[in-house]
Amino acid sequence: MTKLQAARAETTEAYLALAGPELAALCTACGACFGACPMVDHIGLRGGADPKAVTDGLRRLVRGDAAPKETIAWVGACAKSGLCVAACPQRDAGLDAMLLVRIAKQAALNATRQLPAKQDPTAFPRIKIFARLQLSDEELEKWM
Amino acid sequence: MDVGTERITFWFGCNMLRHAEMIRLSIMLLERVGYNVAAAGGPAYCCGTAHDHQPHGASNMAARTVARFNDAADNEGRGKVVTWCPSCHMHMSDIMAPGNAAAFEIAHITELLADRAERLAPLLQTEVKRRVLLHRHAGLATHVAVNDRVSGLLARIPGLQLVPGPVHPGHMCSALAAVPGALSKATRETWAAAGAGSCDTVCTIFHSCHRELAALEGKDGVRVRNWVHLVAEGMGIEASDAYLGWRTGGAPDIAAIERADEARYRALVEPELRKPSPS
Repeated sequence: MTKLQAARAETTEAYLALAGPELAALCTACGACFGACPMVDHIGLRGGADPKAVTDGLRRLVRGDAAPKETIAWVGACAKSGLCVAACPQRDAGLDAMLLVRIAKQAALNATRQLPAKQDPTAFPRIKIFARLQLSDEELEKWM
Repeated sequence: MDVGTERITFWFGCNMLRHAEMIRLSIMLLERVGYNVAAAGGPAYCCGTAHDHQPHGASNMAARTVARFNDAADNEGRGKVVTWCPSCHMHMSDIMAPGNAAAFEIAHITELLADRAERLAPLLQTEVKRRVLLHRHAGLATHVAVNDRVSGLLARIPGLQLVPGPVHPGHMCSALAAVPGALSKATRETWAAAGAGSCDTVCTIFHSCHRELAALEGKDGVRVRNWVHLVAEGMGIEASDAYLGWRTGGAPDIAAIERADEARYRALVEPELRKPSPS
């Protein structure tokens, strides 16, 4: 069972605006999360990027500042493996490294615009067609 | 069939709608262990996790979905939302609930079934003669020990031999698809492990892995099944898998295509069904 947190804001947008700076303030840019991430191998940054500089880029992004290209490549490749969470020495202080990476990625998409938005306007229409191919009228009515 | 008294909402997410049998099997399993199930999913119950580029829109989607679940908790006594999708589960836990007052708790389907495995055990009377490689990912373990839960459920199926597969990055295969080479590497490693373990079946845990691996059905003599298919087999239920059939050369019935809107099927669905396999 996952116990849900009490609400800290009135919208998720407001919550992320609140949580980002809090998490960034806890981050020491030690690079442990970057070192634990299996996606680093897939983007060719293992041994080729300074983990401290890359993770300092997370803090920059959350502030709305541009980050090094290695940070952008890394947050763009985040696949939610979650290994960064346990690797973070600030975890017990309240730093959820995966959430910090997630918020940094959103900043790279929407604030610094260093990541291109990947929009697929056909995603929901496609899902609806799959549903209509397989579900009965009753299931469509009750479930969706 | 007796329907249980504890009322839950089974939130199957958006993309599981490709796999209607898996939704129905999930509902059946939850009912068999004593839950009264109302299923909910599709775009109207979107968590917003795939809309990072539209923070305001994603925030509105999250608010709408939480409000619907709050209504179900308040008006129908469905105070527990049971997830399938790891994205939905993590997004609800980490982002949706802290940004919206939630009147419910969440649990993953594998947690509920594992917690009531003693009720499932007497139903698993049919021998399933398969040697099964479990296709696993590292993600979601921060929230739910899903790999262990599924392993525990599969271990109760008589005749089934379970081989733990490599643990791949990400929370499911769709997360790897955006990174060049990552999905094909995971797929190759899965098939190599199945071969090394003399397995005849690869078992997926999540829908997006099933979607990606379905195209490889029969490769090297290895079949692809989801864990709910295997549990159903252990109950003597031979579950079909329409998506897998379509992905390996079949097509939906023409009447179903016409009902769904043939032009939209040709434009939106057929290209996915005919795309190359990931390795």
